[in-house]
Amino acid sequence: MSERRLRLASQVIALLGTAITAYLLYVRQTGAGLACTTGGCETVQNSPYAELFGMPVAALGLVGFLGVFAAAAAPGGWARLTQATLAISALLFSAYLIYTQIVLIGAICEWCLAGDVLISALAALAILRLRLTPLPPAIPSRAPQHPKRRPNGSRTSLSRANRPPARVRHKR
Amino acid sequence: MRRLPYSRHRFTVVIAAAVAIATILIAASQVSARGAEQQATAATPSEPRVSPPGTSFAAGISQHGAALGSPSAPLTLVEYADLQCPYCGQWSRETLPVLVDRYVRPGKLRIVFNGMAFVGPDSDRALRTAVAAGRHDHLWEVVHGLYENQGAENSGWVTDELIGEIVARVPGLDARALLDERWTDSVDPEIRRASAAASAAGVKSTPSFQLGPTGGRLELISVTSLAPDGIVPAIERALGTR
Repeated sequence: MSERRLRLASQVIALLGTAITAYLLYVRQTGAGLACTTGGCETVQNSPYAELFGMPVAALGLVGFLGVFAAAAAPGGWARLTQATLAISALLFSAYLIYTQIVLIGAICEWCLAGDVLISALAALAILRLRLTPLPPAIPSRAPQHPKRRPNGSRTSLSRANRPPARVRHKR
Repeated sequence: MRRLPYSRHRFTVVIAAAVAIATILIAASQVSARGAEQQATAATPSEPRVSPPGTSFAAGISQHGAALGSPSAPLTLVEYADLQCPYCGQWSRETLPVLVDRYVRPGKLRIVFNGMAFVGPDSDRALRTAVAAGRHDHLWEVVHGLYENQGAENSGWVTDELIGEIVARVPGLDARALLDERWTDSVDPEIRRASAAASAAGVKSTPSFQLGPTGGRLELISVTSLAPDGIVPAIERALGTR
């Protein structure tokens, strides 16, 4: 898969995650009913683990997904590193949140699980993007170069550094 | 696109940074959650440990087994709860008295307690005591008393002494007889019935609630918070449609 496709897929998944966390944040702020088939969403959302010092974890997730989206949209080495760092840290934190749901809270929030699945996919894409790095332009090509022609038609001599390796030179 | 030789150094740096960030977040979550739980515990009234006689929230309301309120109330709310579940305790302390005053006392609502015991040994001791009290139509005083004195999960907080204190405040209930009765086979059918009802309703967490017309089909409802405004709209809607 090309880097362009990896970035595009990451952006789409990050947008889906943004939508989920925005919905959870909206429900939390407005007190609207939360669509939930497991019956555990409210328990999880009302648990002390749903906040970090007063800030909803959904808000943290929203910022995280937007950060991954921005890093996926940007080209370059720093963007790749940022995307991978954000996505992998989010994956580790989401693993901890799954543990809190199952062991500490005793309830499962399907919206949170959906977010966790998206984070896993984002982490995989970020690692792939990190490994499929294109050659930086600063690396010189090793292909043999042809001597340039002067305006009077004569050839310039190749400098020692630009000469083809001895093994590809032909004897007359 | 060309694939470069895998850069182990770069990946190590990314992993180290990610682990550092995740560790900070997890530590923050633990500290934050612990602080919130301590606040909740501090907010729980500890004195007096047991409501004085005559001031029980259920005083003057008819009880039949696990049901609180008039059997002819148009609406029934079934609560599925574990007596060790902290969120069940919070709901019982904050919201149940409001519902009792607003709907149960005027005869609009009947509340049924379907106890579950999945957290641990204290859950079982507490539930068997509550069910035994229900056989004498005093389940709700015991349930409320246990929630008011709820301790840390499986710390051995459901002691005979605590139950004795709670029961001593309930007129017509003998603590010694209740402590003996809870371990007899007489409470098992009710516990099995509640467990089967929870499975049939699709209950996956506590507290969970079913609401519907008395004697009719009950629906599992979604509560938006443990505060009264998390369930009152659903009750109002159900009453409005009748």
